[in-house]
Amino acid sequence: MRALVIDDSRAMRRIVGTILKDFGYEVREAGDGRQALDVLQEGKAEGWRPDLCCIDWNMPVMDGLQFVFAVRANPEYRQVTLMMVTTESETGQIVKALAAGAHEYLIKPFTADALRDKLALLGLLPEEVSA
Amino acid sequence: MTLTATSFDWVRQLVHRESAIVLQPGKEYLVEARLLPMAQQLGCAGVSELVETVRNHPDPAKTRRIVEALTTNETSWFRDGDPFTAFTSTVLPQLVAARRPDERLQIWSAACSSGQEAYTIAMLLSDALPNAATRVSITATDLSRQMVERTRAGRFSQLEVNRGLPATMLVRHFTRSGNEWEISPTLRRMVTATECNLAAPLPRLGPFDVVYLRNVLIYFDLPTKQAILTRVRQLMRPDGWLFLGAAETTLGVDDNWERVVLGRGSAYRPRKGA
Amino acid sequence: MTLSEAAPIAQPITELLDAETVQSIADEVWPSLVGDGEAFVPVPVPPPADVVSAWVDIIGPWTGSVVLTCAPATAEALTESVLMTRPPTVVDSEDVADALGELANVLGGNIKSVLPGESRLGLPQIGSAPSRGRLDDVRSLVGQWRGNFLTITVQGAAPAPHAERNEVPL
Repeated sequence: MRALVIDDSRAMRRIVGTILKDFGYEVREAGDGRQALDVLQEGKAEGWRPDLCCIDWNMPVMDGLQFVFAVRANPEYRQVTLMMVTTESETGQIVKALAAGAHEYLIKPFTADALRDKLALLGLLPEEVSA
Repeated sequence: MTLTATSFDWVRQLVHRESAIVLQPGKEYLVEARLLPMAQQLGCAGVSELVETVRNHPDPAKTRRIVEALTTNETSWFRDGDPFTAFTSTVLPQLVAARRPDERLQIWSAACSSGQEAYTIAMLLSDALPNAATRVSITATDLSRQMVERTRAGRFSQLEVNRGLPATMLVRHFTRSGNEWEISPTLRRMVTATECNLAAPLPRLGPFDVVYLRNVLIYFDLPTKQAILTRVRQLMRPDGWLFLGAAETTLGVDDNWERVVLGRGSAYRPRKGA
Repeated sequence: MTLSEAAPIAQPITELLDAETVQSIADEVWPSLVGDGEAFVPVPVPPPADVVSAWVDIIGPWTGSVVLTCAPATAEALTESVLMTRPPTVVDSEDVADALGELANVLGGNIKSVLPGESRLGLPQIGSAPSRGRLDDVRSLVGQWRGNFLTITVQGAAPAPHAERNEVPL
């Protein structure tokens, strides 16, 4: 399983990345939406495509919502699951993200168990970890 | 690990006495993690010091807090998935067909903790049935008064709503209230919460069409497990459904149940003639 | 996110945000970011000689900052915990700025959600805490983490210099 973690905070990229690696994911990172699109593009050349993107909302250059719009507009990335991971937690914000095409939404602060639960909901939890 | 063997032993005996729940050796880490916040709040250096304090100065309120801290389950929404997808896809249609339209379906969440299971069921029902509020009633019980009050309140922290609740359900069935999320009044009214100790004779509840008794039997010894399953069966309709935790079974415990495979999980139904 | 053109709120933060709410936010942030079982305990300890702060600005109907303050050594220990580093790995000042900044960011984001109207968060900053505005426009939790001094302060913005009326034009 492969994931792309997109957050302008190195600390958060490391936290999310570590949890995903513990679940057996191979993880790549990006510091904003623009960089993330570049990572996706470069990945295409080597046959690397993430099953999951964990996306922060507030980032410089291109924010998480814009990234979601961009990915969902591209049929090549139809199979990629998009999950927001953000402090933005007003109902309106969540609705906006889901309407833009995000599949799930994880509010910060979250625990490793919460991320695991979301992955289970999405069918993205490797079987060995389900216990 | 700062917890001493004597401290763990005292806690183990207290919990068994107050709730019949058995803390096996090896659960020291659980005691440590669950009681550390209380120890810190009371200015104790660690959990062993907390235990010594309560042993030397018995205090019913502190004792109760200790028991409650150790007898709450790990709570998430739609826990393990299958018992809830199976409910919507198989159990509910069968029940609706088998009951009269004016008969309320009765569901029991029998170790409800802070209410996630009961409200998960309420959300599923409101999405599956028109007029769910009038067709179903959900009884939620727990050993802990604190948990019963939490279930009644239907308010959950950000951390709690993060646990396995699909975002689409969050936005449709909850509203923000300060830093917390409140279940909608319609769903809240579908749930009635009361205190109940499964290890003791049960109050007159039900008769239930569906019982969720998930991840609570594991805390009890075999005779208590058998007693609980018997009492539960007595409160169920003969064609009712029992859901246990993902790793649990009635096999080897009580043979008055028939196991039915549902999706990747199973449910149990009272054996005919039991 | 665009802001509505709402008028600034006149009320001080003490009327908009109580201490229990800030504590309950900290109670969620600590186990999540700092580690399982970790907690910010609202029991004061003597302040250290030297402190460092990380903060985020909140800009909206109420404007101010959410500031986390502790000793430099505590900041390092927090960072090690947040980044889950183990000896012999050491954390550098960039790590500290990032980890503390993210703590301030998540605290600030959750506090922002409780405030009325629509607000946005500034990027995390680290250094000497920003000056406070009105003295009554402060909600402060003084406490500790693992026995070390730590405060979480929600403070209104200081007025801009040109707004001061007591300067005598030359």
